[in-house]
Parts: sequence; C-alpha cells; structure tokens
Amino acid sequence: MDQAAIIDHEFVVAAYVITWVVQLSYLAWLGLKWRAQKREAERLNRNSR
Amino acid sequence: MKKLAIALYVAAVIVLMIWGFYQAMYVAPNDAMQGEIFRIIYYHVPSAAVAFVFFAVNLIGSIGYLAARRNHHDRAQTFDAWALAGAEVGVVFCTVTLLLGSMWGRRAWGIWWTWDARLTTTLVLWLIYVSYLLLRRFAAGPQMQTLAAVLGIFGALDVPIVYMSNRWWRTQHPAPVFGGAPGSGMAPSMLHPFLWNMLAWFAWGVMILYLRYAVERHRQKIAAREADAALHETSSI
Repeated sequence: MDQAAIIDHEFVVAAYVITWVVQLSYLAWLGLKWRAQKREAERLNRNSR
Repeated sequence: MKKLAIALYVAAVIVLMIWGFYQAMYVAPNDAMQGEIFRIIYYHVPSAAVAFVFFAVNLIGSIGYLAARRNHHDRAQTFDAWALAGAEVGVVFCTVTLLLGSMWGRRAWGIWWTWDARLTTTLVLWLIYVSYLLLRRFAAGPQMQTLAAVLGIFGALDVPIVYMSNRWWRTQHPAPVFGGAPGSGMAPSMLHPFLWNMLAWFAWGVMILYLRYAVERHRQKIAAREADAALHETSSI
C-alpha cells in the first residue's frame, strides 16, 4: 500500500468518524433537552396540585 | 402500539446504518481515478440531500405557520414545530456535508476550501439557517415565530441555487453525478451502496427530525401551561 492510499484511507475513516460524532452529539443533546423538559413538566404538575 | 412501531423503526434504522456502512466500506470498489477517497461520497451526498429535504420541511412549516397563525393557534404551533425541526436537523446534515466536502477537497484538490460556486452557496445556505436558529434562540416576544417563518421562506430560496450551482457555473466542484451531462452517472457496483446509504441516512434523518419535533411540541405545551399558571396567579392577586 503506497503512502497516498494510506492517507486516503485515514481521511475516509476520519470523515465517517466526524459524521457520527456530529450526529450522535446532536442526538445526545436532544436527549438531554427532552429529559430537562420532562423534569420541568413534573415540577409544574407538583405545583399545580 | 405507537411505542412498538417506534421501537421497530429505530431497530430498522440501526440495521440500515450498519448495512450502509458495510456497503460503503467493504462492498463498493475504489474509484478508478480517485481511489479510496471517493468513498466519502456515500456519506457526503446523502447528507446534502437530507439537508435539502429538511430545509423544504422548514419551508412548508413556515408557510403553514404564517397561514394558520391568526385563526388556528394549535395548528400554527404544530407547523412552527416542524419548521424548527426541519431547520435544526437540516443544519446538522449541512454541517456534515461541508465538513466532509472540505476533507474530500483536501485530498482531491489539495485545498480545504475554495470560493467555488457550489461551496459558497452551500456555506451561505448553512449561514442562513444558523441565523434562523439564532433568531429563534435569542429573539423574544410574539413576533419571533413570524420573523423566523419569513426568514425560513427566504432561506429556502437558496436551496435550488445550491442544487443548480454546479450546472450554471463550472468552477472547482465536480459536475453533477446524477442528472448531469450525458454520460454522467455511477457504475452499478457503486450505485447500489450509494442508494443503500441514501436510504439509511434518510431513515436516520426522519427519526431525528421526528424526535426534534416531539421535543419542540413538548416545550410549547410546557410554555403554555406556565403562561396559564402565571395568568392564574396574577388574577388571584
């Protein structure tokens, strides 16, 4: 395997990793937002009783 | 029943993503000219396509919000939630498109960035929707949703310009692989992995889009309850 092919392979792997880091980070942020909202809804329920 | 359908859909998305990755990395052959770096296409182009579709969701949501805001409050809020979800998830996919395009450009052209027509119009598109999200985040008051809807409609005008940019202006970015000049297209050995990844990323995108929509609807309901509670407190004083 020549040097250019090795760098190409590393770039492809890095590109796929970056894609998943961006997508999963966003998914995790959505999950945290959802959890915070559920807590807020529970707090409102407690206050309204 | 709804929970089961969602669980099945998520399972199908995970299987599709694994299958798409396998197709892109192990089944598709290297490109004769570019070698292995060409495999970026299996994530780069589907990300761009999903971003375009979700910006169209934002457009429909924005128009729907403007049409319904005076007489159908709940329907308008639903449209607004779809508009926000479309813009935000679209920005995530557009970010991936720009990052992967830059990496591909570094290997193919020797540069990370150039002010080529396709790259520039895509960056402008990304900036428009980032400003849409910033407007929603930092503007306050009842006019915020209306202003955001108008910005969303104007932002969508850039989508066809981005799509046509490498047909209208021949600069650095390659000519379209699909629907381009006669002879354009992909060999079947590359086309199948490409279509699997297109399907997988659309399925993933729809899942994320629906989740973002659900979070926003939940937030709207909490905000409405808080406003009601504040009104009752004020009236009891």
